[in-house]
Amino acid sequence: MRHSSAFLLPSPPPAGGGPAADVALVVLNQPLPRFAPLLWSRAALRVCADGGANRVFDGMPELLPDQDPDEVRARYKPDVIKGDMDSVRPEVKEYYSNMGTRIVDDSHDQDTTDLHKCITFVVKNSDNSNLCILVLGAVGGRFDHEMGNINVLHMFPNINIVLLSDACLIFLLPRTHAHEIHIERSIEGPHCGLIPIGMPSTSTTTTGLRWNLDNTSMNYGGLISTSNIVEEDKVTVTSESDLIWTVSLQK
Amino acid sequence: MHSSSFLLPKPHQPANKPIKNYALVILNQHLPRFIPRLWAHANLRICADGGANRIFDEMFQMTNDEDEKSTRNRYVPEIIEGDMDSIRPEVKLFYSSQGSKISDKSHNQETTDLHKCISRIHQRTPAHEKSNLCVLVTGALGGRFDHEAANINVLYLFSDMRIVLLSDDCLIRLLPKTHRHELCIESSVEGPHCGLFPVGAPSASTTTTGLKWNLSGSKMRFGSMISTSNIVQSEKVTVQSDADLLWTISLRNLT
Repeated sequence: MRHSSAFLLPSPPPAGGGPAADVALVVLNQPLPRFAPLLWSRAALRVCADGGANRVFDGMPELLPDQDPDEVRARYKPDVIKGDMDSVRPEVKEYYSNMGTRIVDDSHDQDTTDLHKCITFVVKNSDNSNLCILVLGAVGGRFDHEMGNINVLHMFPNINIVLLSDACLIFLLPRTHAHEIHIERSIEGPHCGLIPIGMPSTSTTTTGLRWNLDNTSMNYGGLISTSNIVEEDKVTVTSESDLIWTVSLQK
Repeated sequence: MHSSSFLLPKPHQPANKPIKNYALVILNQHLPRFIPRLWAHANLRICADGGANRIFDEMFQMTNDEDEKSTRNRYVPEIIEGDMDSIRPEVKLFYSSQGSKISDKSHNQETTDLHKCISRIHQRTPAHEKSNLCVLVTGALGGRFDHEAANINVLYLFSDMRIVLLSDDCLIRLLPKTHRHELCIESSVEGPHCGLFPVGAPSASTTTTGLKWNLSGSKMRFGSMISTSNIVQSEKVTVQSDADLLWTISLRNLT
């Protein structure tokens, strides 16, 4: 399975670099990272989960202070606001609704998290063949929310979902595949880690890291690979267990 | 038995158990709003490397002090520990001149700054006191995810100690599988949102009381069911499991 963070590059990747992913953006209810406008422009579908709409309404003009706030809001208009609607401010919901944003009220469904609902929605409304779902606001804040969001990665192992913050990005490396991670050195790294969340890993092997693993076992209570360093443009990982990959993002 | 009484404005002393002594470890992220009350009642304050910068720079805005100088003179850690690659030289000089012990561990690159701090506390605490001592840690969550994961792993590596990771939004504890746990909920400062997570390995059977959605011999695993967005409904929550679990509870707006 091939992974690339080309979506974070300031200009789109060159045409020869392989098929472009169909990018969807999901915004959860936390402050926007500084590169939110860039990712917004890359995405074919933008979904705000409930209070994520407040964050876009307030945060996009703040990230683009040289531009007129109303123009920014018109340009960075979500396609969908989805969730149980207990966090989105009424005036924000009305503003976007008047501009054509689809409002999908899920308040009847209390069994799954906001992110889970959004992923299901995006999958249903996208051409699946090369879908990449970028999620803002999934880490930090309340820890039970963060754990629930990481659990969504485990529940959808066949979907390419990337959680992003100002500091780093995270995605799942399912045990079913050998992984090639292409590192965009201008924006990612050098700090990275491989973390077995939910299950010990009896055997992981890597290349491209300063401290590579060689059939090494990892588990909470023992060794986990943190504060590692990316040393090559391509990192490979194989493991008998699902792992979370994380790499830092440069300022 | 676990209690968050350290978060109360004045130390809370229930009749049937002594107040816990605690150590405070400050890592290199923004200080939580309630840090002055944690500082006031700690037996020992250790800054892990750049955590000293945070106290130096940010404590003033958390207090009602007249000027920065008096804040800096008042909030002096007993120890500054770590590899010293983040602490600013002038900060190190200031605290050293105020009496902080500078414990330079730059030769040891194998462990994180938090690990070094906990290890030091672990070593100097007699065996019979280990389970009574509580270590509170600020700045362990958020920021780089690999740092957060490593800090959570410290809870597992020192599971014979009570270590609590705190942020503005929540706290986290490890509930080792070897014990049945009673969590005394201080509802003026914590709750109602809570969760239980089998981060290290799945649980075949977990049972709780005191939650809105209690577990009853329930299985939990990543990829399937884990307990998030649960609600505390009683002053006492009990948890018993065949797996080590992380417990988290939200914190109310404490200033």
